[in-house]
Amino acid sequence: MSRSRRHSLAVLRGRRRLDVEDHRAMTTANNNEASVRQVVSQLGIDVSRYDHVLALAGNPNTGKSTVFNALTGLRQHTGNWPGKTVTRAEGGFEHQGRRYKLVDLPGTYSLLSASQDEEIARDFLLFGRPDCTIVVVDATILERNLNLVFQVMEITTKVVVCVNLMDEARRKGLSVDVGRLSEDLGVPVVAAAARRGEGLTQLLDAVADVVSGAVQPMPRCPEPPPELREAIDELLPLLETLAPGVPNARWLAYRLLEGDHNVRQALLANRLPGVVAEQARQVQRASRKIALEGAQ
Amino acid sequence: MAAVAGQILAGVLLVLIAGSLAAWALLRPWRSWRQRQERSLFEHALKHLFTREHGGEDATVDSVGDAVGISLNKRQGLVTRMADAGLLRSAAEGLHLTVEGRQYALHVIRAHRLWERYLADDANVPMGDLHRAAHRAEHRLTPDEVAALDAHLGYPPTDPHGDPIPRATGECAALAGMSLTDWPIDKPACIVHIEDEPEVVFRQILAQGLRPGQSVRVLERTPHRMILTDGVEEYRLAPQAAAQLQVAAPPQGEPLDTHGLVRLSDLPDGREAEVIAIDEQYRGLGRRRLLDFGLTQGARVCPELRGIFRDPRAFRIRGSLVSLRSEQASRVWVRPIDESQQAA
Amino acid sequence: MTDSRPPVTSEQVLARADELQRKLGERFRDQLVESLYTEAQRIAGRAVRISESSWASLDRRIDRVVTSRVLGLPIMLFMLAAVFWLTIVGSNVPSAFLAGLLMEEGGLSGWLSEYLGVEQAPAILSMSLYEVLHWLFAVVHMPSWLTGLLVDGVYLGLGWVVSVMLPPMAIFFPIWTILEDLGYLPRVAFNLDFLFKRAGAHGKQALTMAMGFGCNAAGVISCRVIDSPRERLIAILTNNFMICNGRFPTIIMLATIFVGAAFPPALMSIAAAGTVMAVVLLGVLFTLVVSYALSRTVLRGEQSAFALELPPYRRPAILRILRTSLIDRTLFVLMRAMATAAPAGAVIWILGNIDVAGKSLALHAVDLLGPLGYVMGLDGVILLAYVIAIPANEIVVPTMIMVYLGAGRMTDVESFSQLRTLLVDQHGWTLLTAVNLMLFSLLHNPCGTTIWTIFRETGSRKWTIFGALMPVAIGVVVTSLVAAVVRLFF
Repeated sequence: MSRSRRHSLAVLRGRRRLDVEDHRAMTTANNNEASVRQVVSQLGIDVSRYDHVLALAGNPNTGKSTVFNALTGLRQHTGNWPGKTVTRAEGGFEHQGRRYKLVDLPGTYSLLSASQDEEIARDFLLFGRPDCTIVVVDATILERNLNLVFQVMEITTKVVVCVNLMDEARRKGLSVDVGRLSEDLGVPVVAAAARRGEGLTQLLDAVADVVSGAVQPMPRCPEPPPELREAIDELLPLLETLAPGVPNARWLAYRLLEGDHNVRQALLANRLPGVVAEQARQVQRASRKIALEGAQ
Repeated sequence: MAAVAGQILAGVLLVLIAGSLAAWALLRPWRSWRQRQERSLFEHALKHLFTREHGGEDATVDSVGDAVGISLNKRQGLVTRMADAGLLRSAAEGLHLTVEGRQYALHVIRAHRLWERYLADDANVPMGDLHRAAHRAEHRLTPDEVAALDAHLGYPPTDPHGDPIPRATGECAALAGMSLTDWPIDKPACIVHIEDEPEVVFRQILAQGLRPGQSVRVLERTPHRMILTDGVEEYRLAPQAAAQLQVAAPPQGEPLDTHGLVRLSDLPDGREAEVIAIDEQYRGLGRRRLLDFGLTQGARVCPELRGIFRDPRAFRIRGSLVSLRSEQASRVWVRPIDESQQAA
Repeated sequence: MTDSRPPVTSEQVLARADELQRKLGERFRDQLVESLYTEAQRIAGRAVRISESSWASLDRRIDRVVTSRVLGLPIMLFMLAAVFWLTIVGSNVPSAFLAGLLMEEGGLSGWLSEYLGVEQAPAILSMSLYEVLHWLFAVVHMPSWLTGLLVDGVYLGLGWVVSVMLPPMAIFFPIWTILEDLGYLPRVAFNLDFLFKRAGAHGKQALTMAMGFGCNAAGVISCRVIDSPRERLIAILTNNFMICNGRFPTIIMLATIFVGAAFPPALMSIAAAGTVMAVVLLGVLFTLVVSYALSRTVLRGEQSAFALELPPYRRPAILRILRTSLIDRTLFVLMRAMATAAPAGAVIWILGNIDVAGKSLALHAVDLLGPLGYVMGLDGVILLAYVIAIPANEIVVPTMIMVYLGAGRMTDVESFSQLRTLLVDQHGWTLLTAVNLMLFSLLHNPCGTTIWTIFRETGSRKWTIFGALMPVAIGVVVTSLVAAVVRLFF
């Protein structure tokens, strides 16, 4: 971590309606503990000045908040029970001269269900369009965690997997072959033990590579069931004519088949092309370019 | 003198203004209440007309009045008001819906059935209470809200009773089923619909444990009773109750053969098993949660812990320890793995 | 993007998507998840090597113990009692120190002689900050009303909150955080789920209640972990039955003065901790009963899925916990309390020092609330304190004492024994008053922040009003009943 100077940014939205994604569920997100720090950390720091937006996803209990704290130097409280991070926190740090904003998404087991947490996480990945998404997984229960990794990879290709809790895995006599995992998943994989600060520098390097385009992840997702695949294949060209170049059209098609209200609204309001056009603009404004401000 | 007159005038004016303000404040809720009442009457009447028409019967002023539950002398007035609003036409043989009236009726039915679906899937309201809650909600929902609800639920084809939900475009699939009283003995059937009126009988049926989507067979039919089975339990129904069940041939695929399988809730502690299926009737968020934790077909599962009150049990699923209530665990069918195989 | 409009419209795409969706039915989601897990299993199988088979055997053994029928419940109660006992014992000395430093006449000399046996305190320590401020204000010839407002009002309000609240919180929060980090709380939820199931509520409500011990507003926010709207609403509405940190000092004070005092000194703290426990368990009981009542009446419904992961135990990172819990949680709650205590101090001073028709405003209010206070086994002063303390529960006790002392100062009360003299001998408190005050501090309206949080989380004015009024209504009824029964039989 020596190379990266940390500083605190505004932590949570709520009082400060900053920029990103104005979703109903998220406007309600405000954490009292955090708002004091928010006030403190706002002093003298320009919140809007960062070069890249990163998202932090993961199952509950994978030490996601610990990774977040270790990277940002913030002290978002962590607890060993599922669903501790019920609000979304934001923080910032600097690595190799670039400023990153890190958004800690609620811990979820999946992105397919209709619960509020999953909706927040899903919509941020879909419409917030982070420059890179770090998926934190628990080395001791890799199998369960990979489910979410696949789902994130369906939405975005810019993924770095952080296999956390390696220390605990070692204690339990487990070893994880990170190289193999990376090969099988098609995205960079970094082993880490965030509580001890192990592997964080490598994680940041991997993220920097993905953000700069030096490394282009090629995620390998499992084949969907045939009926679903046919349906998606039929919708895909339609979506692409509607919004040429929309990057996660497959996932949008899938969500349409699931009856996702937010995706429908974005489609009806013709905001998909807007999302794409906006992306072509400066990277600094990456997180401001969200659709969905009026959704409900 | 003039000053006194002026003061009196000002006083009178003040009283008038205050009085009219007060009257307005009091009358406004009264009027909106009246409007709501009228709307709900209209909508009930429309639903009645629609059901009659759907069933090929004609509605009359009296049938409308009975359905809505208003006194004899008010019935004609209601029908006239509805006709004035362009919702129905009176003809010699009875009352007919206009195009507009039919659309309106479909909206109300759609709102009702979607709301029931929402209550059942997301809010876990018991089946027996769905109808009454939806009866109130159907008059409050606007078409936009109904559309959003439809989307949120992922466009369910049927409500929890098995009734088709009309589309926003106005199409309404016909109910594909026949009365249980006419279903041949021993032929596999799937319950597609349970009529929720009269409510007393409906609750009796539910109390027995019958649900839409369940696979059943008729074992015995006499003029006094009917015996059904789902392979595990036997259900006895009076003919009146049986008439409220609509059944159809089971959907594609065999019903789950539960031979050699146990429910996850019955699996002894420490015994490993393989997941075979989750009950088809177990839907909504509950099912998705089980899937999210990796309880998919073929997964290994092993009960490890019981809470101090014995009920929730914790299962080792794909490396993590997940606690489930017995109601949930009972929806999962598993095949215990042989001890010898387990050792190997 | 300047070319002609797209050949397909969004509506057409949506219509097609609808059709396809109907055709797919519901099965495909199962199949999708299945395909993901099959692949996950394959990849994880290739990447993970198990060298020893000592797989989490310690975890299992611990789990067997904490969820066992015989030991499970006692362990849980013991842990809870231990937390309270440590909090009470640990905060005595620092509380007295802070009070001496900030407010008492004679500064720290009293504290030094009591705890360190130093009879002759150095001169510099014999003056509290309060006295220093008075002296400073006198030197610059401030008008006496301004000195009163700022020093006797605002400053004393702050001083009370700091000396009464800071030590218990600084002990409670780290201990609680350790329990959280350890992974014990999900086991509690697991053990207690049966009760919540019976009450028609969600097992995760136990987690939100645990958060409520720290701060009810945080507890209400944490209710988001419950997916089902019905059960989440129940959890939100009943969170207030958990004694938050703002209310602990009141209960601890009462427990020490009225219950602990009846025991020999050695057992005092244990008796006090037991009393606090009893109040907390009563809160749990109310939570269950009210949840039951709600889920049988206005919030009817079956229990939804309860799928809670029991994470492996983890060794807590003690240093980090100390830092996070002290700096973030403790200071945060303290800051909030101080932010409301300062203006409240001023308000109390004004109420106590502005006379109308021969009596201070405070006394007018007290007279007005007196009859209701009597019915509830309390008095007008206590009720006035609760009205003033709506923004934050922390200031109930200081408000009471300020009003009792009349002049709007509370420096004459230096210790619990003096407090006892003030309350019992001068203002006629009985055991009934103490018990009912404990009950009422358990059962009254949530603080302003919590009410606002309930509104934000539910988005419903109706439920917010219900959530605010329901506990206070229960409180009035319960205390009145207790008072009536006691007066009838004793």
